[in-house]
Amino acid sequence: MSKILESLSMTIVAGIVLTILMVIATHEIDKMNQSNVHKAISDIQQKMN
Amino acid sequence: MEDITLFLVRYLHVLSGIMWIGILWYFNFVQIPCMAKIPADQKPAISKVIAPEALFWFRWGAAFTVLFGLILAWMNGYIHEALTLQRPDIGFGMWLGLIMAFNVWFVIWPAQKIALGLVEADAEAKPKAGRRAMLFSRANTLMSIPMLFSMISGQNPTGLY
Repeated sequence: MSKILESLSMTIVAGIVLTILMVIATHEIDKMNQSNVHKAISDIQQKMN
Repeated sequence: MEDITLFLVRYLHVLSGIMWIGILWYFNFVQIPCMAKIPADQKPAISKVIAPEALFWFRWGAAFTVLFGLILAWMNGYIHEALTLQRPDIGFGMWLGLIMAFNVWFVIWPAQKIALGLVEADAEAKPKAGRRAMLFSRANTLMSIPMLFSMISGQNPTGLY
């Protein structure tokens, strides 16, 4: 890790990589949250029927 | 009244953020790379005059960015969801900002006080402290990239998620 941080250009590349990982993680968490909401709605509908 | 208050808090958050990240990038893109090129007898101009002043605005910029940012998140009603990553679009950015601010106050500033001779320290301690300050400052530069992406995507949908 210190090898990366000793180089400014490697630091910037690592920052871009971390940004991409963050976008992927955000997408996955959002997908999980939406499927939890859909499941909750579906559970309520089943109880009503 | 609420709209103008929200606007002002956001304005103060961005102003302090620019102070903080602007000086962070000055340290990493300008000061650190240039230090090796400066003749030894001229280095005190940086270490005794410029760096201490820059560090003052840098650390208080960080403190006020976090303060106004947390107030903003609370006023907008998403502070809990963001910090628990139920709203990861802004939540990741907030956590990165908090880690970066922690680094400023609890690692970089204490190390710089030793490296710049602002506090008493052994001769051996100074270069170690200088290196520690540099590495954590670089780490903050690394984190500033996703942090700013998250901050902007919180307000301007990217279409990515």
